[in-house]
Amino acid sequence: MNIKYSRRAVLSTGAGLAAAVATPSILRASSSQPLAGKELRLLTWSDSTGAAVLDHIAKPFEAKTGARVIADRTGSTSEMVAKLRAAGDRPQYDVITLAGVGAVELGGDGLLAKPDLNLLPNLEQVDPRFRTGADGYGIGYLLWTGGLIYNTKTFAEPPTSYAQMWDASHQNRLFLPPSTWTDALDTIFATGKMLGGDGTNADEAFAKLAELRNSILTFGENPAQLSELFRSDALDLGGVYAPAFYAKELMDPANSNMGATYDLDEGFFADLMYTIVPKSKPGDDDVVHAFIDFTLDAEVQGMMAEAVLNGPINQNAVMSEAAKASPFIIKPEQMGEKTIVHDKTFIADVRETWINRYNQTLS
Amino acid sequence: MSIGLSRKRALAFSLPALLAITPFLGACFYIFRFSISAETGTIQGFSIRPYLDLMTPFFGRSVWLTVKLAFIATLIAMVLAVPLAFVLTSLRSPLARRCLTVTILLPLILNLLVQAYGWILLLGPSGVLNTTLRGLGIIDRPLFLLFNETGVLLGLVQTSLPLAVFPIVSSVRGLSQEHLEAASSLGASQWQTLRDITLPLLRPGLLGAASIVFAFNASAFAVPLLLGGRRVQMLGVAIRDMISPLFNWSGAAAAGMILIGITLFVLVFTSWLVRITSRNVRD
Amino acid sequence: MRVGLFPNEGGGSYRFVIMALAAIGVLISSLPVIIVTIMSFSASDNTGFPPQALSLRWYQEVIALFTQADGSSAQSVVDATLTSLLVAVIVMSISTLVCIPLAYALTRGDRRIRTGMELLFTLPLVFPLVILGIAFLLIAESLRLDIGIWRIVIPHIALVLPFVLRNCLGAMSGIHPEIEEAAISLGASPLRAIWDVVIPLMKAGILAGLIFALIISFNEFTITFFMYTIDVSTLPIWMYSRTVSSLDPSTLALSVFIIFADIVLIVLVDKLIAGRASLF
Repeated sequence: MNIKYSRRAVLSTGAGLAAAVATPSILRASSSQPLAGKELRLLTWSDSTGAAVLDHIAKPFEAKTGARVIADRTGSTSEMVAKLRAAGDRPQYDVITLAGVGAVELGGDGLLAKPDLNLLPNLEQVDPRFRTGADGYGIGYLLWTGGLIYNTKTFAEPPTSYAQMWDASHQNRLFLPPSTWTDALDTIFATGKMLGGDGTNADEAFAKLAELRNSILTFGENPAQLSELFRSDALDLGGVYAPAFYAKELMDPANSNMGATYDLDEGFFADLMYTIVPKSKPGDDDVVHAFIDFTLDAEVQGMMAEAVLNGPINQNAVMSEAAKASPFIIKPEQMGEKTIVHDKTFIADVRETWINRYNQTLS
Repeated sequence: MSIGLSRKRALAFSLPALLAITPFLGACFYIFRFSISAETGTIQGFSIRPYLDLMTPFFGRSVWLTVKLAFIATLIAMVLAVPLAFVLTSLRSPLARRCLTVTILLPLILNLLVQAYGWILLLGPSGVLNTTLRGLGIIDRPLFLLFNETGVLLGLVQTSLPLAVFPIVSSVRGLSQEHLEAASSLGASQWQTLRDITLPLLRPGLLGAASIVFAFNASAFAVPLLLGGRRVQMLGVAIRDMISPLFNWSGAAAAGMILIGITLFVLVFTSWLVRITSRNVRD
Repeated sequence: MRVGLFPNEGGGSYRFVIMALAAIGVLISSLPVIIVTIMSFSASDNTGFPPQALSLRWYQEVIALFTQADGSSAQSVVDATLTSLLVAVIVMSISTLVCIPLAYALTRGDRRIRTGMELLFTLPLVFPLVILGIAFLLIAESLRLDIGIWRIVIPHIALVLPFVLRNCLGAMSGIHPEIEEAAISLGASPLRAIWDVVIPLMKAGILAGLIFALIISFNEFTITFFMYTIDVSTLPIWMYSRTVSSLDPSTLALSVFIIFADIVLIVLVDKLIAGRASLF
């Protein structure tokens, strides 16, 4: 018990140090590896954001603490929820990063534990709006932001409204998010706002979306597939979709033909992603909290923002000048009137009906 | 039945296989039980709600689309598989046979996502085919071969072709040489032999292969997702959506039972056809 | 002189039509693989087709993936490959061992039973894999089974049984009971007759079944996606997380590598089991 306590103490000062000391390699000395020999089982996304978690969170964390991170990056948020529900009270994982709605659902099922906020000193640097959520079961992670993705060959200037998708010139050169993604709910919302409502005017929105049925080339089930279609100049635009998938492509529009914009009359979408901890997880509390705290570290947040264009929630996030100026990374201070953050309980209520109607309207 | 196979021995011979399939039968029962559960996320109580909830025009269209696409894809796959089996069995060079076998097996091996990517490069709106045709001035608007029913059909035919070819190959090998030789010595043309001798003799094998292919195609979900761009709502896709993110597991189970029911009906119907026709051949 | 279904010379329109259809079949099977293979030799980062220049750089990356002991954060590709192989070999052996006697019993036994059993063993093919996957997962979790690799092996066996059985049945159907009778009349016991006479004649069918089982299990994704755990994971699962994040040429090179691995496996099984009487 005593040992455990002192470990935690070392840990929190260690984490404070990490923000001050720049390179993790300095910390590799064994004396500052308080978690050596411990294991952490992490579940995260299969897409490029998950790959970035490995490179910019898991590996530096291992180097710093000596703990071993076993990562499983196979799934989307809904697949993660399905697996955790099936596993019930015998989860395989210690820590999971996922989209907001997944944390709310699992929290509601009673499958999650509430992390001890006192063990997460970095939370103090986090914008108060984004510290916790999902009834305290979720710890803020990064912001997932969605806008329009467009073809830089077709558009000399970025489109300024979602209404552009209804333009006849984009017939068969349009994509929409698949019904199973929260981005589809955003799309319904954006359509409603475009029609002058507050976004919840779903009947109107679906009637308008129905006009797109024959203009869609494909649903964006697979981000890599879309990237290829843009590269070969087969798509003009689509949304609501996250630039996060295309950090590489957006840097190189000459080859990828890809651009993205949040600067839209109807606004753009932001969803706070969470880190969650299952009840009766296999690993130890100290390593779990150390890891969550590490995800909120100013440097880590900055690196993740640059790597996958997620919005950092740590107000002191350390970013390069280029990243600070990047129009694709939304910083907390930029979250204003144009930012649409869903009321999670409203979304939870309409989700099932909206997904079904979206399917039936468009395919 | 000249070699007597006693009941006891027959049972002993079948037992290991029955054991091997038991977990699967357990899973089948589990799915059935889930499909009559009163709760959507767990098995609790009894209700036919999951089935009643499915009785919508949208689901009906989805069933029809599934049966239609699976049927057409099966026909095409069979038309391609029979000649492939003929060629495969008549190749003399072992190396050529090996290469052809491996080629036919390829669709089973390569990750479907990567295959879909290959098709996009070839047949996509700006793929090799469309650029060439446009370059030649044959078309001015690109042909849309993917992300619609054509794309799904292509994918279904491709993934199910190996399942069709190999059963046909083994029936072709089992063909009695005398029949063919007799036909040939009577001066029948190749087409006549095919129509009057070969195909009737192969019929049980063909129907067996076709029923496998149909079942396989009817439950496909990756192909409509990747090559149909999710715009073609086959049942497999609907079931996947119900499992996650809708978490309507009892609904998914019920939809699964309906799909299984349809496919089983087709299988029983074909095996009945086989019985009828093989009786005719024997007479 | 054997009368072929496909004449080697002459034959006019018949030969032409058969040839053309077979060619279409071959194209449909192989075109994506050909494109992907060509792209995997591309020298550039992007995926324009055809590539402007060729190189082996992506293959070097694949080799590096397998040889460098990488941090251990990611699921190791080497572990995943080994698990896949082990699963495939177990699945292949068990499914074949149980199907041979069953095929024999069904062919020599009551015809009505045969129809029913064939239908029963076709069932795994009929079930939509997604729903089967979640059912297996829920069962395994509710029984609190801790069975390691068998979590994946057991569902895979069910999945390949239809293919193995059909191939064995196909092979049995050509073997007339008289052959066995002859062996028995020469003094062999019935079991001996099966072992010495029937099994060798079934070889081609058994082999085809083996290879189907091997390939299907080695490449199975849907059910495995539900059943894998963080400790027991397979190559297709590993590959999936890679293809979702990017379709760069290194992923394609990896796909070509997997195809190559499959072909090696097929040839190996063919050589080991078949000897001269090969499937091909």
